[in-house]
Amino acid sequence: MITLNGEGYSWEEGMTVTELLNGLEGDHDYAVIRVNGKYVSKPHFDEYQIPDKAEIYLIPMVVGG
Amino acid sequence: MTEFNLKELKALNYERPEIERGYANQTLYVNIGEPDIAVKPVTEQMKEIFIGGKGFDLWLLWQAVTPSTRWNDPENTVCIASGPMGGTPSYPGSGKSIVAAISPATGSVMDSNVGGYFGPYLKFSGFDALEIQGKSDQDVVVLVDGVDQCIKVFAATGLPEDAYALSETLTDQFADGNPRGISVVSTGQGAVHTVMGCLNFTWFDSKRKRVRYKQAGRGGLGTVFADKGIKAIVARWGSVSLDSNKPADKETLRSVGKAYSKEIVGLDPKQNQMSKVGTTHLVPIMNDFDLLPTHNFKFGQHPHAGLIGKDVYKDIFDPGFDGCWMGCTVACSHGVKDFVPLTGDYAGQKVFVDGPEYETIAGCGSNLGVFDPYFIVEMNFYCDAYGLDTIAVGTGIAFVMECFEMGLINESHTNGLDLNFGNRLGALTLVHQMARGEGFGKIVGQGIRGMKKVFAEAFGADPVVMQDIGMESKGLEFSEYMTKESLAQQGGYGMALKGPQHDEAWLIFLDMVHNYMPSFEEKAEALHWFPNFRTWFSLCGLCKLPWNDIVPADNQEEKEPAKVMKHIRWYAQYFAAVTGRKVAPEDLITMSEAVYNFQRIFNLRLGFGRREHDTIPYRAMGPVTVEEYESRQERYDGQLKEKYKVDIEGRSSEEKVGLLRQFREEQYVKLQDAVYHRRGWSNDGVPTPETAKRLKIDFPEVLEVLEASG
Ligand code: SF4
Repeated sequence: MITLNGEGYSWEEGMTVTELLNGLEGDHDYAVIRVNGKYVSKPHFDEYQIPDKAEIYLIPMVVGG
Repeated sequence: MTEFNLKELKALNYERPEIERGYANQTLYVNIGEPDIAVKPVTEQMKEIFIGGKGFDLWLLWQAVTPSTRWNDPENTVCIASGPMGGTPSYPGSGKSIVAAISPATGSVMDSNVGGYFGPYLKFSGFDALEIQGKSDQDVVVLVDGVDQCIKVFAATGLPEDAYALSETLTDQFADGNPRGISVVSTGQGAVHTVMGCLNFTWFDSKRKRVRYKQAGRGGLGTVFADKGIKAIVARWGSVSLDSNKPADKETLRSVGKAYSKEIVGLDPKQNQMSKVGTTHLVPIMNDFDLLPTHNFKFGQHPHAGLIGKDVYKDIFDPGFDGCWMGCTVACSHGVKDFVPLTGDYAGQKVFVDGPEYETIAGCGSNLGVFDPYFIVEMNFYCDAYGLDTIAVGTGIAFVMECFEMGLINESHTNGLDLNFGNRLGALTLVHQMARGEGFGKIVGQGIRGMKKVFAEAFGADPVVMQDIGMESKGLEFSEYMTKESLAQQGGYGMALKGPQHDEAWLIFLDMVHNYMPSFEEKAEALHWFPNFRTWFSLCGLCKLPWNDIVPADNQEEKEPAKVMKHIRWYAQYFAAVTGRKVAPEDLITMSEAVYNFQRIFNLRLGFGRREHDTIPYRAMGPVTVEEYESRQERYDGQLKEKYKVDIEGRSSEEKVGLLRQFREEQYVKLQDAVYHRRGWSNDGVPTPETAKRLKIDFPEVLEVLEASG
């Protein structure tokens, strides 16, 4: 089990960020997420494996700067 | 305590007007040469067309100067304004001051949006804007005292040189028991000797019981200030409440402000955590996307970037509330307590440093090949104390370091200084020299455009190479984002009115990461909409950060998520609640468009503002050197083959650098065509008379400029 934006979410061994995002409903365009306080960015979404009990926030950064 | 003397030269007692719906309805004019003080009315036309803030600054500056005015002429005028919403304590980001003058770096109009309490205090004291003109042969301090309803000009002797000590001294002098009621604008000795002087705007941090600072950094506004002989401008005001602006609809203002604040408090901890880490969260993100400038914008990534990112600074920052205006719940203006510099006059002493923000970290850190968080804090500290723009200093020294490594300059030119990338002591030594106008630092202080000339003429350096790697456009140093892979952001920098600063457009993610704007027309639309909407904040006295650095949870469901429309609807309500002027979200763009085009026409009036001025160095478009090309060979080879259909078999890296350059330069020209067309400008980048008419800025003198510009 992990938490996603403060809510419980099911977890599987070896689950990557891409797989997590593909499982979400609706359109989304996340380029960055925060896992246990550290950023993981899109270039690493395919290979980064989410650990169990991770606290994840999806960062909707669209037009900052 | 410093021994100093303030001798009154001129004073004017005035009757403070009631603020009405966000306006004081008058501006203040001070000529420090005469000296002379006058109060001018604000007309309904000014409010309707120019709104306030930067709009008022530009209008006043236009009247004050002529087409031949240069930055150091007495008639050049430092204009500072709040805006109709400036000074609202409940709505996050509502305390900005906007400064404008003719810039020593670009020769044209410069503007800067800055925190601190000055703008709101100026307005509540009775003035929507302040103009300071003339030149004094002695140091002067100007006091705008809204409490005692008087304006005073003092001759000053014995005041401290550096901005920190100076602002503290003047806060003590005028506080009369209420230091929170004082805001000081000042610069430092660096502004005297360079073209990159910044202005420090203060607020008093009641919790920490100290003066804090924000900088109007870009384009040498501090240099103009120092050249005039202005030591400081002080505003004095009493308490601030939701009533201070006498809003048209207080209840709506209260409820929309509350909703916005609540959203920020709820979402910031889940999103970018700016109330804890400021803008340092951008460092690891930019690095991951190959966008963090390192080694003079050669590369966008470095394995040591983690040493200067949010995870480090969150532990270095002094915890506490850090809003640069009352009630800003984003509260991103952090600082470092008990920092002990290793060099300069403060070596070995504990100081408080305001910052660093992302731009300073990238400019004075990664771009110099330095990944030491405390070195960056020291650079930040001395730049502020000397009144130097950290972006211009960072980008400028990065250029010097690359010239040094390329052998374009050597130790015989730098007076023995080793200026290889990564040389921390070399960089700090340069900053101290720049501030004092000594040694090689004196040349560096002239900015990249000035350095290119000296390096070519006096040191025999190759001007063509320097043109490619010197990261300036219009004479202004680039702010700290890599643009090689985002054509839209190349345009965002190149076609920005004042020069390459990202406050007009920051499109890298939308363009490069999300691919929201694949066609030239879509890019042009973005380069019309975003610069205009971002301009609107500076008309109203607002900070842009709360708009899109905290994004509503349901934003993705909006038709155009990039615009964060829910917030724009709130801004329209906010504007109407203060001014009583009913507006729809799309009206905000039209308001800005008038001022945006007026600024372009102002550039034309001063001899700039055409296509030829909207160029950028090739380093901003693509790999200048084989080293850069080969570091991302797969990417560039792929583009040549797939996008441009070139057979690269057997081609050398030099050839491929040349081919890619040809394509990318062509793309930039096509983008310019599309953007000028979308903005209602001629193919040379000149607003058409029809555009001026539609925006109601077709004043006779504007049409004259347009006619003369073809
Ligand atoms: S968001 Fe940050 S910079 Fe903007 S007003 Fe608030 S504290 Fe100041």
